[in-house]
Amino acid sequence: MILGARLGRPSKLRRLIAAAMARDLTTFLIPGPEVVRTYGLDVDAAGLKVVASPRHASVLLVAGVTISPALRDAAAVIYAQMMRPRAIFALGAGELSPLPTADVIAGLSQQGLIQGVRQLREAFAEGAFRPDVSDFDAPILHVRIEYTCPMHPEVVQNEPGSCPKCGMFLVPRDVQVKSSHGHHDHTHSQEHQHHNVDHDDAAVEYTCPMHPEVVQSEPGSCPKCGMFLEPRKTRAELPADHHQHAHSPEHEGHGMAHDAVVEYTCPMHPEVRQNEPGSCPKCGMNLVPNETQDAQTHEHAGMDSATDHGSMDHSGMDHEDMAFMSMVDVTKDLPRSSDGLPMEWIDAPFGPFFPGLPGGLLLTLTLDGDTVAGSAARPLTNNLDLSQHPSTDSTSFIEQLAGMDPLAPIAYRLLACRALENAAGLDVPVSTAAARIGALERERITSHLGWLALFGQQTGFNWLMQHAASLQLACLHADVTQAMVLKPVMQTLIKRLQRTPLLKSRTEGIGRLTADTALRGPVVRAAGINNDARSMETTYTTLGFTPVSREGGDALARLHVRLDEVSHSLALIEAAGAIELPALADIGDVSGTGEAVVETPRGMARLQLTLERGQVITAQLETPSTHHITLINSLTEQQSLGDALVAVGSLDLSPWEIRQ
Amino acid sequence: MTTALLLLLLAVGAYLVAVIEDWTTSGRFRLAAPAFAALALLGRESIVPRKSDRVFFETAPVLLLISALLAATVIPLTANLIITDLATGALFINAALVYVLVALLMAGWGPNGAYAMIGGWRFLGQLIAYAMLIVMPITAVVMRAESLLTTQIVVSQAGLWNIVYQPLGFILFFVASMALAFLPPFDLTTAKGELAGGVEAEYSGARLAVFRLGRLVLIITLAAAIVVFYLGGWQGPWLPPWAWSAIKILAVTTMMLLAGRYMPRIRETDLLGWCWMLGIPLALLNILLVGLLVLVLP
Amino acid sequence: MITAQALYIGFFGLAAVWFGIVVFRTFSMVRSALALLFSQTALGAMFLSMQAEFLGVLQIMMMATEMSIMAIFMVMFMMDPGGLGKMDMTHQKRLSLVAGIVSFVAAVAVAVFVDWGPIASVAPDAAQQTVDLGLELLGRSMLIFETAGITILTAMIAATAVAIPPVKRNPSKGTANHEH
Repeated sequence: MILGARLGRPSKLRRLIAAAMARDLTTFLIPGPEVVRTYGLDVDAAGLKVVASPRHASVLLVAGVTISPALRDAAAVIYAQMMRPRAIFALGAGELSPLPTADVIAGLSQQGLIQGVRQLREAFAEGAFRPDVSDFDAPILHVRIEYTCPMHPEVVQNEPGSCPKCGMFLVPRDVQVKSSHGHHDHTHSQEHQHHNVDHDDAAVEYTCPMHPEVVQSEPGSCPKCGMFLEPRKTRAELPADHHQHAHSPEHEGHGMAHDAVVEYTCPMHPEVRQNEPGSCPKCGMNLVPNETQDAQTHEHAGMDSATDHGSMDHSGMDHEDMAFMSMVDVTKDLPRSSDGLPMEWIDAPFGPFFPGLPGGLLLTLTLDGDTVAGSAARPLTNNLDLSQHPSTDSTSFIEQLAGMDPLAPIAYRLLACRALENAAGLDVPVSTAAARIGALERERITSHLGWLALFGQQTGFNWLMQHAASLQLACLHADVTQAMVLKPVMQTLIKRLQRTPLLKSRTEGIGRLTADTALRGPVVRAAGINNDARSMETTYTTLGFTPVSREGGDALARLHVRLDEVSHSLALIEAAGAIELPALADIGDVSGTGEAVVETPRGMARLQLTLERGQVITAQLETPSTHHITLINSLTEQQSLGDALVAVGSLDLSPWEIRQ
Repeated sequence: MTTALLLLLLAVGAYLVAVIEDWTTSGRFRLAAPAFAALALLGRESIVPRKSDRVFFETAPVLLLISALLAATVIPLTANLIITDLATGALFINAALVYVLVALLMAGWGPNGAYAMIGGWRFLGQLIAYAMLIVMPITAVVMRAESLLTTQIVVSQAGLWNIVYQPLGFILFFVASMALAFLPPFDLTTAKGELAGGVEAEYSGARLAVFRLGRLVLIITLAAAIVVFYLGGWQGPWLPPWAWSAIKILAVTTMMLLAGRYMPRIRETDLLGWCWMLGIPLALLNILLVGLLVLVLP
Repeated sequence: MITAQALYIGFFGLAAVWFGIVVFRTFSMVRSALALLFSQTALGAMFLSMQAEFLGVLQIMMMATEMSIMAIFMVMFMMDPGGLGKMDMTHQKRLSLVAGIVSFVAAVAVAVFVDWGPIASVAPDAAQQTVDLGLELLGRSMLIFETAGITILTAMIAATAVAIPPVKRNPSKGTANHEH
């Protein structure tokens, strides 16, 4: 029996279909395939087929213990988009609300996964159709309609109307009533609402979005371009705080004047003038409206608009009644993207569970056609602020830090251990230090392989996705001998990538970064700077570590740096000869401050902490992704969508380690 | 009778394509998997997104299937096994397949979703890239056969298959066919990691099943067209003609599906740039070469 | 079967007219373009019904591509490519009305008054038609078609050039945007 069964009495045909469904389970992974793999789970081998769109999934697999409330809200939206019959499969997950209770719950292990899939198959075969089903509902799913301008996404209001910047129709869109995203738009919309209420008594008139000079008191279509006239409130549009509207009053005024001033005259007999349309008493021809006076004021308004960028004030346009509607003229003042074509802007969310981007990262792209016109990125993961945490003992502090980022648990465990040892003044034996490096380097390999798999998924490079993923799983808990067995396989992979067609053109020149010391890890080393925290450690030097860098600073260079690092890490593991998870000896009731630095797979992380009688009082963590997420805006701007995603992906962000 | 038989063969072919596609993407050869997947899709809910363009949304999958089916009607499996041997067969294939674009545009526009819409427009850009590379190689093939009849085109290759006679045309047509069927690495319109399924993203249940069936028929039709135009159709020693057709078509299908597995998706800019700056000159050169060969050779 | 043929011609003719009307009755640019496409497809089907196979198939093929390309031009010229803002598809009504009536009358006049020569009792078979058409295109009418072709090409290039304004290099923003 599954909670998300489809309505229907089980018939013979339906039983057959349910049996087929049980054999063909498609799944959408929360928080994402790369995280699920770090738990050592091979979803594919367990018989679940991972799909890219929730609409094609029948099982929502939620893996991991700590899923932040924001991510759970997002998961509820995903669940609501899935087609019934649908089921929730929780692997070691704790709180799921607002998602309904999981249909199948299992432990966070491959065995649990396989067992759970078996249960899911049974549940689907038996309960895919039920005569009584209840609807899934969550506060996050309640939407209200707000209105936004296709050209100016920053304009958002609660009522239909026209854009204060360009005068176009606002288009409706849905937003969640309970927004987990905390859109900054909301403050906007309240503002707007407020001032709309203020002027509610304003008169309604109708005007053309393209031709502001066309104003009439009744709805209809524009005589110049045929577009529907849209209603507007005469005075509601005079917000003094918008400097774009400095000339607005003048405009309005002359819109009115337009109505009053228009005269009708005969083309043959200029002396015939009247205020209403009709025919000439002398020759019977239709009178034409005379607008000379208007044209002058228009020109003036047109000059005004030239100074205010982005405004769509096309008053300077032709005034022949029969003139052809020229879209070149109409769009000439609009902001243009690099391809030079103005198009409507769409805000499209990529994440927090987007295939091809790290799970937990919400990237919102404003798309101008296929070109990215703007972006906003932030993690929806629950990132605890370490400094504001109540004091914890050292063991739970280590666990807390190690559990923070599922993509690099060992690196952060090592960081915590080192900082605590530093504060306690402990020294680590050389063999332990080397064995820890073995563990750290193994994690670097698995992390880079995980990135390769994600890159393969993003770019539709199926072979890479599967090959890197299976290698990652094999390497995850490998000891030194197993790692050495995997060495030739990895070297083949690296060689293969060097002669893969289209790979170079796909990444070369994409996401180019100039050398900047704020960058970390492979990202900075791909920009030609030899910045590596490992080169300062004596243990590494004795193991024969030499830092490497590549020129280019683009996605291709970052790919190559990561591939280089995989082979170097293999050599380091071989030299270290042992792999041992960092663990802390009893530090006793010491007090003091400590600091440590670890070169995580994504770059250098730094931890400063204060110990007071064995308790961690304050801690400050600096992570590479916190720096790198700020690059997204400049990397994606004016890029085509595919390139922008490759650029973001090449940074290898871990949303889990980002400190806000 | 012939029609019914060919439709049945087409259905079997589409099923085999699904099996091969499953094998190339998952690495496992499962003969029953597509049947389960199809049944499961039919049993699942199929919803129409809110504020969608209902007419387009409903028409698109059907139009995709129909255009692929229409193209299949002029493809001969043996000298007599053909639904209709149109006098304009080679042109007709192209005419029918142009409506794949229309279907995808509708599917992209219909659901009123950002991913789908971008996917739809992307395919329009893709058409601009591949369209000429479909038409011009066909022109060269027709020049040699001196007929638009598809059966005549096969007969014209009795001495020498077109893959040897005009290898340039074969390569161009093969690549353009993959782009037309939006197979990886040309799957810009359904790009999983970029658009979460693109035009497919909003389809579900039975509608998605029709859409996917249409695509499978499209792939097998294009593979059959490649066999007819370049690989001598049903001709071959020892085996009966229908067996040769089947073997060749399945081999071409496998090649088409396998190629994209080993490379990343192409960038749209590159696709357009290469097709126009490299592909079209080569296609013109191909026409010129074939023209010379037709004049020189008896 | 003359009656069946007439029935087909009538059906596709009506379909062509109906889709033609839809072009102006819808409020979305995309719908309008596709309605035009299907109107032209129906014309192609009329050719087929009239046993002009090559012309019919050509019409069906060319119009789908052409109308889609037209959609691209629409995207280029209209900042509102899909008609999100509702748009009336009619404008310059009086002029259009006059132009429509004039061309209709002209077309009817041409149909009625031109001497079409003797009416063939049987249409030549499709292959023969193709050969005839080819000889016509590469013989007597070559100049006309070459001229038309080059004119259309020029118009397309000119339209594209008009649609995209000259790129002004902005030194402060750098040229990185144009690298890819």
